[in-house]
Amino acid sequence: MDALWQPFVEFAFMRRALFGGIVLAVSAAPLGVFLILRRMSLIGDAIAHGILPGAALGFWLAGLSLPAMTFGGLGAGLAMAGLAAWITRRTGLREDASLAAIYPISLASGVLLLGLSGKRLDLLHLLFGSALAVDETTLHGMLLVASASLVLLVAIYRWLALDSFDPLFLRSVSRLGPLAHGLFLTLVVLNLVVGFQAIGALMVVGLMVLPAAAARFWSRRLPVLLILAALLAAACVWLGLLFSYYAALPSGPCIVLLAGAAYLISVLAGPVHGLLRRIPSPIAT
Amino acid sequence: MIRCLGLQWGPAGRPLTPPLDLPLPAGSLTAITGANGSGKSSLLKVLAGLHKPLAGQLRLAVPSLGGVGYLAQQQSFDRQFPIDLLGLVAAGSWRSRLSRIERRRRLDQALANWSLDGLQDRPLQALSGGELQRALLARLELTEAPLLLLDEPAAALDDAGQALLWQQIARWQREGRTQLVVCHDLDAVRRYFPNNLQIAADGCLFTSNSRDSFSMRGLRVA
Repeated sequence: MDALWQPFVEFAFMRRALFGGIVLAVSAAPLGVFLILRRMSLIGDAIAHGILPGAALGFWLAGLSLPAMTFGGLGAGLAMAGLAAWITRRTGLREDASLAAIYPISLASGVLLLGLSGKRLDLLHLLFGSALAVDETTLHGMLLVASASLVLLVAIYRWLALDSFDPLFLRSVSRLGPLAHGLFLTLVVLNLVVGFQAIGALMVVGLMVLPAAAARFWSRRLPVLLILAALLAAACVWLGLLFSYYAALPSGPCIVLLAGAAYLISVLAGPVHGLLRRIPSPIAT
Repeated sequence: MIRCLGLQWGPAGRPLTPPLDLPLPAGSLTAITGANGSGKSSLLKVLAGLHKPLAGQLRLAVPSLGGVGYLAQQQSFDRQFPIDLLGLVAAGSWRSRLSRIERRRRLDQALANWSLDGLQDRPLQALSGGELQRALLARLELTEAPLLLLDEPAAALDDAGQALLWQQIARWQREGRTQLVVCHDLDAVRRYFPNNLQIAADGCLFTSNSRDSFSMRGLRVA
């Protein structure tokens, strides 16, 4: 039993990784639930690629500084989401297609910028990160952003839920639907940007979407799904860090693979449309 | 309540009818009939503010928010969404400033009106088409919108459901709501609707039992 706590008691860097990771998991996983409900699950992936040039620009101008890279990534992510939404609205191109068209542009310019900057920044570190590299400043940043994001999500929950379900109806009773939609996308970008410092831009997508996808097999109630996804993500961070510590493996992939295992188990054993434990569910006609 | 002047609608550059002048008084109940593709649903969408008219003026004497209740012909939402019937219907009292107890009372009343008792906890996925349609109508009832635009509300309903629908529509009329209802069942139109707007490419025809005479352009009055 001791083995479950010992590394965190012993090492400050493990404690920071655990703290930061759990806070990130709790704020990112509920966003993943909404991404899935809005059929935008792959959009997180696209945005995660797209924030790279901003982070690279921040690195070029200010070196390995968290605020510079965060604001750079945030700017790039929001600009990309905004540009894709604008193109969609003006031309009727579907939102997934316009985002899929914008993010390779963003990603390629990011890689090019890194090459131009001449400084050595490990691209792999940006993409796949390392939770063990969370220092005091990064941790404070993560705590701040994640708790703000959680508070904001609670504040817009009512609007976001109805906008995800039936935007046409929300439009007839409230003008705040587009605002909730925009704030939600901002939160997604924000969490991805904070996450890429810790477990990498691509791994954080896994932490966002996998627990949410797994939760779907366990409940049909939105509040339950949100809490379940957050708890599952936090548990994956904890166990993933332990596993990476004892097996001396990179932490990001360990966390995400654990979430992946939880997802596969849910697909098999989940009571809501799971493959094995299909309890008689009323069939819609 | 509704005032159209030279209103035209349809796909860009291809209006579906000649310009329509139509005043509809508050509290009127009107069926909209016509062939497939004649523009019934498009007219409702224009009235609901979802599409822009191609030409002409449209005035609705309702508040810009919460004034129009619109029931679409086909629901675009995800049937797998994790919400139960009670949650769906309760969204109707979104703008209500009533106390929690009073809101709950009206919610129960609406559920009873649309014979949804006992289905409160059903997930959306487990509702039949008719049950879902009645739930949407109950939600519309709770919005207390003065203008209701219903696009083929009877389509998914069985005989009992349709009888309930006509009964509730009659009650809404007594309560003073203005209603426009797209309907293909001409028998029901004759029995339950005082007014009928027939939409056709060569001009619209307005028939009324109440003998109100409107002066209209592009409209033949029978």
